[in-house]
Amino acid sequence: MAWNDPQWGNRNDGGPPDLDELWRRFNQRLNAAFGRRGGGAHGADQPGGGGFKLPGGAGLIVGILIAIWLASGFYIVDAGERGVVLRFGKYVETTQPGPRWHLPYPIESVEVVNVEQVRTVEVGYRNNVKSKVLSESLMLTDDENIIDLQLSVQYILKDPEDYLFNNRNPDEAVRQVAESAIREIVGKSKMDFVLYEGRAEVADRATRLMQQLLDRYRTGIQISKVNLQNAQPPEQVQAAFDDAVKAGQDRERLKNEGQAYANDVIPRASGVAARLLEEANGYKQRVEANAIGEAERFKQILAEYNKAPQVTRERLYLEAMQEILSNSTKILIDDKGGGNLLFLPLDKLMQAAGANVATEAAPPSPENIQPAAKSDNLFRSRDAFRSREREERP
Amino acid sequence: MKGMGNTIVAVVVGLILLSQSIFTVDQRQAALVFQLGEIVSVKKQPGLYLKIPLLQNVRLFDVRILTLDADTPERFITSEKKNVLVDYFVKWRIVDVERFYVSFNGDEVRAMNRLAQTVNDGMRAEFGRRTVHDVVSGERDSVMEVLRKKADADARRFGVQVTDVRIKRVDLPTEVSESVYRRMEAERKRVANELRSTGAAEAEKIRADADRQREVIIAEAYRDAQRIKGEGDARAAAIYAEAFSRNPEFYAFYRSMEAYRSSFRNKNDILILQPNSDFFRYMKSPRGGGK
Repeated sequence: MAWNDPQWGNRNDGGPPDLDELWRRFNQRLNAAFGRRGGGAHGADQPGGGGFKLPGGAGLIVGILIAIWLASGFYIVDAGERGVVLRFGKYVETTQPGPRWHLPYPIESVEVVNVEQVRTVEVGYRNNVKSKVLSESLMLTDDENIIDLQLSVQYILKDPEDYLFNNRNPDEAVRQVAESAIREIVGKSKMDFVLYEGRAEVADRATRLMQQLLDRYRTGIQISKVNLQNAQPPEQVQAAFDDAVKAGQDRERLKNEGQAYANDVIPRASGVAARLLEEANGYKQRVEANAIGEAERFKQILAEYNKAPQVTRERLYLEAMQEILSNSTKILIDDKGGGNLLFLPLDKLMQAAGANVATEAAPPSPENIQPAAKSDNLFRSRDAFRSREREERP
Repeated sequence: MKGMGNTIVAVVVGLILLSQSIFTVDQRQAALVFQLGEIVSVKKQPGLYLKIPLLQNVRLFDVRILTLDADTPERFITSEKKNVLVDYFVKWRIVDVERFYVSFNGDEVRAMNRLAQTVNDGMRAEFGRRTVHDVVSGERDSVMEVLRKKADADARRFGVQVTDVRIKRVDLPTEVSESVYRRMEAERKRVANELRSTGAAEAEKIRADADRQREVIIAEAYRDAQRIKGEGDARAAAIYAEAFSRNPEFYAFYRSMEAYRSSFRNKNDILILQPNSDFFRYMKSPRGGGK
């Protein structure tokens, strides 16, 4: 097992070893191992070899070929990548970003894996949430309802060796695991929970379950995020669900309307109440003031009356009667003189009195004259209008 | 130049011989070495190995975890005689290449068919014992675990380890789905109606409460107002009483005059008088009292 000699691996970690030195060592070891026999079963895959005595030109060509062969072992690991080096198919090491060198083919090979790139798997849709894959997105809930759910899973690699060596198709495994996990979680949740309040928790639990499964398969994959793109009832029942949501809004609206009514009525009532109280206070003060006033007046009069009762009484009586009789319609009847034949057309008297009142009251109130004057006014205004027209025309 | 030609021939022959006598086993693989059709060694570790050229040949096997993913969902019947469509996947790997080779001639497809059979049988049994609800939510884990154990026990005989059996989908057939949709719709309708009517009820309560408050507020204000008015009336009455009780007789006279005056102040008021009233006593005779 000369090829598995540990000296093959004697490389500085920092980068490729010095080529000259390597070349020299290589020659020495070849010479030491095979002497000048050459062409043995071992080492014959090397094109020529420094130990052979060849003509100068051929030696140079062989040297160049070997240099090219050695140079083919250079590779670059970009940021975010890891190089996984295999020697004869067996894992030896994982290299960090930077320029690297491995023993050239066929001894060692390298597989560069991007570990930090975020990869995405879509479940229930492809590319766009609108292009649904119903067979993936429809799932049963605990209360035997069906919901339509799309999610995307983002993941990175936490272990490039596991990622490369343990699963034939680790990326496909993410999809399978995602589908299985989300269905398990949804299957254990009630529909309303998944659709409304529990979305974050569903995603969270799905993440955990997926990670657990992926770890069980040793995929070397780290789930970084599970996004529930869309969780909704299936299209067939969408309308009913929308209506239920609308009903919730309606309920709030109705309550608000009721509240609005209350907010309208109660302050108004308070206003009315305040008015009642104010009016009552006003009444009270008025009544009291009136009482005080009238009482004062009476006391004054009384004081004078006490001084000359007979005269004052007579005077007051006559004054009052005078005022009454001068203000009202009166009919004086001497019932001793043929009172039986007396005809009193009371209704006419009333009318006459009313007309009197009307004419007396007429000047200040315009409504009273209007019925009579209306047509007249109309004509007049029309005439005025016409004359104005005439004036305006040349 | 002749020496040179010999060297080249030797090198080429050497290379061919070498390529026939060494082989590598990748990290992801295991190898069986056959000698004239007979297995002579198993190489489970990756690395470089020697073999006898021509006489021995090598067969490599992928020992990573492989997936059996059913293309079409299988139909199973649950304990309440409902059909469900089940989609699942199985994670498996070859752990014993020799047995695997003997059992399936190294053919992964044959192995998967066999696995699928085992898992389907297991599922039929497990589903037949459970309700839809059980397999969808309640006992999903244990169903999967039972299936995995069963499949694993069976597969070990073929050098295969079953890492996991996972149910992906448990769906109802289309015709059942339709009735589920109808039920969901009806349920939502119920919820919607309930929301609307409770909304209306609450609105009505709020209104009624507002009306009640209005009535109470106004009634209380009325009560207070009446009390205040009463106080005013009482005060006024006291004042009047105090003043007028000084001479009740004169008050009656004086107040009557006042009342007459305000009663008859309109031309509409027609007074029919007899001249023998006291007011007219001088109309009859200048000395009055001429009755």
